[in-house]
Amino acid sequence: MFSTMIRPLFKNKKFIIGISIFLLFLLLGILGPTFYKVDPTEMTWDYEQPPSVEHPLGTDTYGRDILAQLLHGIRSSLYIGFLAATISLVLGTIVGSLSAVKRGIVDDTLMAMTNIVLTTPSILIAILIASYLRIRSMEAVAVILGLFQWPWFARAIRAQLMSVTSREYVYLSIMAGYSDLRLVIEDLLPTIATYAFMSFVLFINGGIMGEAGLSLIGLGPTRGISLGLMLQWAVLMEAVRRGLWWWFIPPGVAIVAITASLMVVSTTMDEVFNPRLREE
Amino acid sequence: MASKPMFRFLLRRFIFLLVTYIVATTVVFILPRAIPGNPLAQMLSSLSQVAQANPEAIRAAERTLMKEFGVDKPVLVQYGEFLLKALRGDLGTSISYYPRKVIDLIVPVIPWTLILLLPATLVAWILGNTLGALAAYRRNTWIDKGVLTSSLVVSQIPYYWLGMIFIFLFGVRLGWLPVQGAYSQGTIPSLSWGFFVDALKHYVMPFASIVISTMGGWAIGMRVMVVYELGSDYALFSEYLGMRDKRIFKYAFRNSLLPQITGLALNLGTVLGGALITEIVFNYPGTGFLLFKALTTLDYPMIQGIFVILIASVYLANFIVDFLYAWIDPRIRLGQEE
Repeated sequence: MFSTMIRPLFKNKKFIIGISIFLLFLLLGILGPTFYKVDPTEMTWDYEQPPSVEHPLGTDTYGRDILAQLLHGIRSSLYIGFLAATISLVLGTIVGSLSAVKRGIVDDTLMAMTNIVLTTPSILIAILIASYLRIRSMEAVAVILGLFQWPWFARAIRAQLMSVTSREYVYLSIMAGYSDLRLVIEDLLPTIATYAFMSFVLFINGGIMGEAGLSLIGLGPTRGISLGLMLQWAVLMEAVRRGLWWWFIPPGVAIVAITASLMVVSTTMDEVFNPRLREE
Repeated sequence: MASKPMFRFLLRRFIFLLVTYIVATTVVFILPRAIPGNPLAQMLSSLSQVAQANPEAIRAAERTLMKEFGVDKPVLVQYGEFLLKALRGDLGTSISYYPRKVIDLIVPVIPWTLILLLPATLVAWILGNTLGALAAYRRNTWIDKGVLTSSLVVSQIPYYWLGMIFIFLFGVRLGWLPVQGAYSQGTIPSLSWGFFVDALKHYVMPFASIVISTMGGWAIGMRVMVVYELGSDYALFSEYLGMRDKRIFKYAFRNSLLPQITGLALNLGTVLGGALITEIVFNYPGTGFLLFKALTTLDYPMIQGIFVILIASVYLANFIVDFLYAWIDPRIRLGQEE
């Protein structure tokens, strides 16, 4: 079953390009810092140097190597993205499926809560929470971001499960005396699996973008290096107006490459798996 | 025009948004009191760094902070006072601009944010939807592929980073446009032609970076919606009846607009967040820039004040979108919903 699902994806050129770019950056993040052994925090007298053989992407105001920062930044940003996405996915699945299964007052309360979070600008609340935390670890930033991007996913899960539970094959399974667990695993989960995967991808993007936004406003992780922090340092040191392009362009390119490639993966999956979008 | 079902729909939305607003302000109230490590105490201790070397200012700020947060009173009383004050528009006294009132500091910067945000959002929405619909209409042609691929990439560019690229290219390298601010330093905002031209020059880059990076998202959404609609039964039936393509497309387009209007409401917060950061990158004197200054000086009454106002404006904008929606959607206007 698995191979029949996956095969059409690899016939799609856009999917292959998207997934390759993403995997490339994933590898850069995971293996980059191990192979390029320059300390990203080490200050040297070669400050604000354009790219050279010694520093492939130049240096910043403190003479720190930009390439080393970039590799560590990609690693942290991906980490924050994945963590935030996992939190959102779990929260959304719990709220959505509880709503769909329990109905009644549970459903009403959960959906009211969902709508409130959905209407409230999440980045603002994230900024507010972060402003009260004096020390922010990467994990804290991921949690703050993950706490607010689940609502639309919860609503979609609820809608999907509600429509599925009233279909004949589910009735049949119930009549056959299947346990709840077996019902959930065999009949319900497969119907939300691809959607959940696509949402996970968008949540990662939300986490990476959110981290960059928080960092730029001065509320990013207080330790370590992320892509957002690199951009913030560049802005603080007026790198843009002083024309130090090698400083602010790489982190942005990494953010766009990672999030855009994930977007391409998600949309092409939609095109392949969604019968209403599939081309005849 | 304003029918009874429409009124009922709007009333329901209004009550929902009011409840949401109360919940949100409650969160604003609870946060500084609930976060471990007691930020209030930390605030007081870090005040000495902010109000430099002026013991009188430190003590005044300390008193203000104690009074603003009313920490000596029972929590419920504090909460009641907080809500009443927020409703009256009294947001307390700023610490870094002591003794000026927070509301007096926020009001002058709001127009700058609105001037930037509203036209940019609307232009992006209109352009994006038009492009997306065009792509769906010409599905699988080079127009479609071009629009889809470029939208996918462009929609992922953070506004502020695009802003940085613009500043570097058109401001620093080519020297065509001013690199920061909303008007030249030294000029005083006035209603003269010269000031208008000057402000317009400063406006182009922040405006363009928001429009370009939000447009793609709308285009992608609209394209999918129109493709859905064109594949639905009524579109196929019309086709079998021999109706012209253009006309079917018009129906599909109108039906696809409704979800895009809902999307507009849901996206307002994200767009606002992005615009705030864009303001920081451009040193544009709007709410985002004020917030940034408040955050760097730990001016908590100001931070809270900005949040109460921003959240209220997002809900207000939501309500306006609801109104539009109710007015456009005949199912709500004529009461066929539910």
